[in-house]
Amino acid sequence: MRRLPVYFLLDTSGSMYGEPIQALNNALSGMINTLRSDPQALDSLWLSIITFDKEVKQLMPLTELVNFQLPEIVCPQSGPTNMGEALMLLCKTVKQDMRKGTEDQKGDWKPLLFLMTDGSPSDLLQFKEAVPQVKAINFGAIIACAAGPKSKDEFLKEITTNVVHLDTADSLTLKSFFKWVSDTIENGNKSAGVTEELALPTPPSEVHLVI
Amino acid sequence: MDRTEKYLSSLFESYKLPVSEKRKKLFEEFVIDSENVEMVNTIVTNQKKMVDSWKIKNLIADVNEKQLLIPNATVDKKYEAEFSLKKYNLTEISDFEIEGLENAGELSFEKALGKITGTPKNSGEFKLTFKFKLKAQSEDSAFNEKQISFIVNPNPKSLWKDLPSDTTDTYWKEDNETIYSKLGDKQLVVSSKRGRSHANVGSFRDDDFAYTHIESNGWSVVAVSDGAGSAKISRYGSKLACQTIVDYFIDKLNDEFSASFSKLIEDNHNTPSDEIKKELSLSIYNLIGGAANQTHKTLNEYATTNNFTLNDLNSTLIYTVFKTFSFGTVVLSFGVGDCPIAHLSKDLSEVKLLNWLDVGEFGGGTRFITTTEIFASQKFASRINFKIIENFGYLFLMTDGIYDAKFVVEANLEKLETWKEFVADLNGNNESSIKVNLEENNSNLCNELSEWMDFWSPGNHDDRTLAIVF
Repeated sequence: MRRLPVYFLLDTSGSMYGEPIQALNNALSGMINTLRSDPQALDSLWLSIITFDKEVKQLMPLTELVNFQLPEIVCPQSGPTNMGEALMLLCKTVKQDMRKGTEDQKGDWKPLLFLMTDGSPSDLLQFKEAVPQVKAINFGAIIACAAGPKSKDEFLKEITTNVVHLDTADSLTLKSFFKWVSDTIENGNKSAGVTEELALPTPPSEVHLVI
Repeated sequence: MDRTEKYLSSLFESYKLPVSEKRKKLFEEFVIDSENVEMVNTIVTNQKKMVDSWKIKNLIADVNEKQLLIPNATVDKKYEAEFSLKKYNLTEISDFEIEGLENAGELSFEKALGKITGTPKNSGEFKLTFKFKLKAQSEDSAFNEKQISFIVNPNPKSLWKDLPSDTTDTYWKEDNETIYSKLGDKQLVVSSKRGRSHANVGSFRDDDFAYTHIESNGWSVVAVSDGAGSAKISRYGSKLACQTIVDYFIDKLNDEFSASFSKLIEDNHNTPSDEIKKELSLSIYNLIGGAANQTHKTLNEYATTNNFTLNDLNSTLIYTVFKTFSFGTVVLSFGVGDCPIAHLSKDLSEVKLLNWLDVGEFGGGTRFITTTEIFASQKFASRINFKIIENFGYLFLMTDGIYDAKFVVEANLEKLETWKEFVADLNGNNESSIKVNLEENNSNLCNELSEWMDFWSPGNHDDRTLAIVF
């Protein structure tokens, strides 16, 4: 069966401490529940979560939606945002995970990447180094989300043209963002692999597309 | 030193009142005073109680902090998961129970086996109560409780909707179509059905097919096409492609051409020579390759006149042209995309693939009749195939909706074993025991094939088209 791998890169740096991380947990859990009720997603979706603060962790290795259990995402009270290192780990992970089409095996659909941050990379050098590596991976779509007033769109624009901005990282906004993410994934499931560019559904009013 | 003496001496020391040498006698009297002995006894007993209680609190907190992950279940799917103290390394627990499983359906915890077994009936995230007693607790003490999350996925079969497509759409076509037809001395049955992924959202079938038999000279044509899911009007692209193929051959395989072409095929068989072979090859190349070329052109013209891009019509295409000769059936074919054409001998002893598939490194990396590059490629000629089949058995043409589910990968198309399984499947060896009787006078053939086409295969919900010539 063909898999649609979806990677989440989530900022868990100090600034997310408190209400934002709580909101993120709730929103993710809502998204997973929505996806579980989509028959196509149940058949093909595989999810992985990487978090980054001063430490970069693969919180959840690539797991089939059917078997997926969302771990609680926690964050330290302060510390840097090692986004560059996280992107490096992502590239390594994707390369290990990907099943390419061969004579005996169905290739995966092109993977999707969702990156969410409420700040900007602290490890600029690694970030600069990681950008071309991320681009070299044949992602079906990369969607980067800058959440809250301190987040910087310009770094995200180096990775992808699909940058969205959230004014706040509160519960309601994150919920509506992740609802949109699940719509995008379901869309990806339908047109998987065939199109060059994944068509994004119209975002809700809380989600501003950055052009 | 007895307990009272020990306790009091360290107590006084902690108050910076150590017993000095000259007060030793006084202290000895103090230590044996019955009131003091009693008081120390009470204190020590209470201390021990508090220590024990704190120990238990700690152990309970340890259990509460421990993540007890239970594998997810799926509605209507038999479930079995180990749940034991050993599995979670809960060494301090003496007794436990699990409550709340019944909310998810017919599930229970078999304590003796250390397993949760049964068949869930309700989906959702359920909270189970893990009730446990610690070895350190007395037997009659109440159970401690911990919540465990248990996820039951819905049954994917129950989630698919079957919404009709919009019949007022310019490019609307029947959601499902099954036909039977005699093609000279052969029979054709084709079923083309809208995939669940399309039915779920009320969109259209993208697959299509067309066929003809030219009575006057015995040639038959069968074409099958799969419109790309992402292309705007590929449902029309596939229809137009198949129709163009049929129209093209009706025109080209006129009686005059057929006579000379058939003679060339016979000469090549009876009195082969390099010259005849060369002439035949060229003739086949022009005829079969020309059909692909004409289709590309027709689609391109349609796109241009109707303000579409050629990609809006993206469709894969396979077609065969065949005729019975005294020495066997001549089968000519062409394919672009990931849909196979194969001949299987009647006794199931030999399979011949009549095309190669365009499969990419990543899923969906196929090519279409609308892909201009295929015509300039050196591989173009290899898309054309010519075979003489002495004992005609079954000729199969199928779209990826069938191929993905039944053959999974290209390599399996070469394996006779997989074809035998496929034929057995058609013969009723399937989940619903639906049998397709491929016999000439079977008036129920269309219904049988149409029903068979609805087979369940996880992850394979694309349109399905299967054409069988027999």
